Amino acid sequence: MRPENYKSVEHPPSHEYELNFGPNHPGIEGNYALKVKLEGDVVTEAKADGGYLHRGFEKLMETRLWMQNIALVPRICVPDPVPMEVVYSLGVEELGGLEVPARAQWLRVLHLELSRIAAHLFTFGGHAATTGMYSNMFWGVTDRDYVLDLFEQMSGGRVYHMYNVPGGVRRDLPDGFLARVSELLDYLERRLPQYDDLFFANAVFIDRARGTGTLTQEQALSWGVTGPNLRACGLSFDVRRDDPYLVYDQLEFDIPTETAGDALARTLVRRAELIQSIRILRQVIARLPGIDGPIRCPLPNPLAWNVPMGEAYPRVESSKGELCFYLVSTGGDRPHRVHVRGPSSMHAVQVLERLSIGTRIEDVAQTMFSLDACPPEVDR
Amino acid sequence: MSEEKTFPAIPPAVSTGIACETKKDSFLQRVMDGFAEFCRARSLFILHYCTGCGAIELPPAITSRFDLERLGVSPMVTPRQADILLITGYVSIKTLKRIILTYEQMQGPKYVIGICSCTVNGGMYWNSYATAKQLNEYLPVDMYIAGCMPRPEAVQEGLKQLREKIESGEANSWEDYFKRYDHYLGNQQHLFGDDWHTPTDVIGEARHYDLLGDESLGEHTVRLEKYLQHHQELGLTNVELEPENKELMER
Amino acid sequence: MSKEIKAVRLDEVLGEMEGAVMQRKRPGRIRVDIEADALPTLLQLLKGRAGYLHLSSISCVDWPEDEEFELVYHVWSYETGVLVSAHTRISKQSARYISVYDLYVPAGFFERDIYEMYGLYFEGSPHMEKFILTEWNGPPPMLKSFDTEEFVRDTFDWKEYNPDWLQEIVAKGGGIVE
Repeated sequence: MRPENYKSVEHPPSHEYELNFGPNHPGIEGNYALKVKLEGDVVTEAKADGGYLHRGFEKLMETRLWMQNIALVPRICVPDPVPMEVVYSLGVEELGGLEVPARAQWLRVLHLELSRIAAHLFTFGGHAATTGMYSNMFWGVTDRDYVLDLFEQMSGGRVYHMYNVPGGVRRDLPDGFLARVSELLDYLERRLPQYDDLFFANAVFIDRARGTGTLTQEQALSWGVTGPNLRACGLSFDVRRDDPYLVYDQLEFDIPTETAGDALARTLVRRAELIQSIRILRQVIARLPGIDGPIRCPLPNPLAWNVPMGEAYPRVESSKGELCFYLVSTGGDRPHRVHVRGPSSMHAVQVLERLSIGTRIEDVAQTMFSLDACPPEVDR
Repeated sequence: MSEEKTFPAIPPAVSTGIACETKKDSFLQRVMDGFAEFCRARSLFILHYCTGCGAIELPPAITSRFDLERLGVSPMVTPRQADILLITGYVSIKTLKRIILTYEQMQGPKYVIGICSCTVNGGMYWNSYATAKQLNEYLPVDMYIAGCMPRPEAVQEGLKQLREKIESGEANSWEDYFKRYDHYLGNQQHLFGDDWHTPTDVIGEARHYDLLGDESLGEHTVRLEKYLQHHQELGLTNVELEPENKELMER
Repeated sequence: MSKEIKAVRLDEVLGEMEGAVMQRKRPGRIRVDIEADALPTLLQLLKGRAGYLHLSSISCVDWPEDEEFELVYHVWSYETGVLVSAHTRISKQSARYISVYDLYVPAGFFERDIYEMYGLYFEGSPHMEKFILTEWNGPPPMLKSFDTEEFVRDTFDWKEYNPDWLQEIVAKGGGIVE
């Protein structure tokens, strides 16, 4: 019923206006902002605004010893810190000519794949929340927590582990650890059908995600998209297989792809990757007890370690895409230059800006989460 | 220089027409205050603002594993309805500006918790050019939870202690922001430049809450007022409180 | 097209470029040193003829002794699985270079980043406004001449921390080593 004094109001036709989306916004992953121009509720222009998480890592790393930087690197990407440690260690090993013992390499793979599972579960949770499905967020975060428990047993830290150091890993596994990993993998496999019912095969989610933020193959290639986002466009590229590091060339795994290139395809690729990670971990569990030996090669005194002159460009496949560091040493005890190339520096800036155009305002958050953009990696 | 040191005399509080006459000593008032504090401590809303890496431990803390909702704590999306501003980790200077804007928009009583070592003294980014070192120079902090990063249990424990502080009436740092506004503003100006200002009229609010102290006004607020006056002359400002006040007085 | 043909194409391209010094560092990693004015042509040939479609990153290194910036373009070929790092040097006096945005879209981000952090301007890059350091008034922070520790000491104060356990250690003749 209308009140007595109701007068119909002629609203002006909706015209272009600007909206600041973030940094204080639950639909934004982390502390990040987008300035969007809208016409009605359709985005006509988006401008990313970063730097809220800038800590000057690249500068700080130049001021600290090679070994001290181990504490800094995982903090570059908060949800998926392990690839950061590994890529830095790989780079320093390449510069210093260190041979990593076999057992340490297998332990690193174990650590990396557990981290990939944790990161993907977290993304599923976040992505579900942007489509209004909070139960799945609760599930994703809680299941990720079980992985964090394993990290804690392995390294002592839940989120930041500093487990990989140049030359190997910091400590060996505790007793009965592999059995517990195996238990967790069984649990996750049992959970996946439940996730399907709640999330991946949910009509609400499929309707929202299908056709949102669609990337074509040409766009993905020319915009520098990597990782699951590239594979969702039908291009099978994975650093683990195509530029192998550690012992990935001894492991059997598939590179899942989808062809649609939209938010749904990206999520389904991540789901399939989770299964592949479980497969890799099962192989690691089977092989690891047979590989004995040291977990670290002998290192010089870390407080006076002059890494030989040179440069290295190690690459690792993180859960978000291709992660590279460019390390330059002038033969001193500190790096001359460390350049961090995070996958999100493409996804969260140029790709997100372009994909947002034409979507509706409520799908911007979903696009960002489906790209799995990680702002701390952009800002460094 | 001597001109700058003359502080403006504190003008009499403007009656807004909605001011409630409080009698602190009345028995009923004390009972009501105690009851209000009891309720307030059991319904706390955290502002959903992930300012740094510590934010990664908040989803586990809030969701089913640790479940802060048991303590009556849950996230809130707008600053105007939130009680707690969690500063989760290092604050870059760019973020600090937004944090101050957000904090000033929140309605009192409001509480600030600094999570992670970086908010205490810069943490591992102690020599970074981009992060602010001590949070309590710029905002009144009720509590720090140290660690890099603190576990969800620690966050939980911290919030429990905050609850106790609220119940016992000790958590009133937000009053400190009004009472010593000049000090906080000075530190903010030192970092952001002399023309730093926010859309919120903090001094006006302090008058409204009757919290204007000896240190509320000083050399830094003079600078702020000069800047605002200059802007008002140019017609650039969006800080226009007079019309609102007039409207309220007419009622 | 087979891997071999593509690999041959790479050698052809590098052979055509005068003054390009190639160095095979390890399987899948090639370093090329080239003059600054020839680098865009090299990238064009690499992309157009040898299939180096992916610009992985552009890194900038400050060499204060030489008064030069070193730019490193890392390009990757999906087909041959080889990463070419093209190195070039720019004098600090001019601090200007040519954008390769037309060739590689990702360059837009990296060039903007280098301009912010080093002050090296790229002509023709579409987004050269600030991105990360919008509220920073100092010199480009990644320059070696900028001392972050000195800046911090000038700008910030430290909280006093002198707990009992530390006082006990100091009383015994120990303490914090500066």
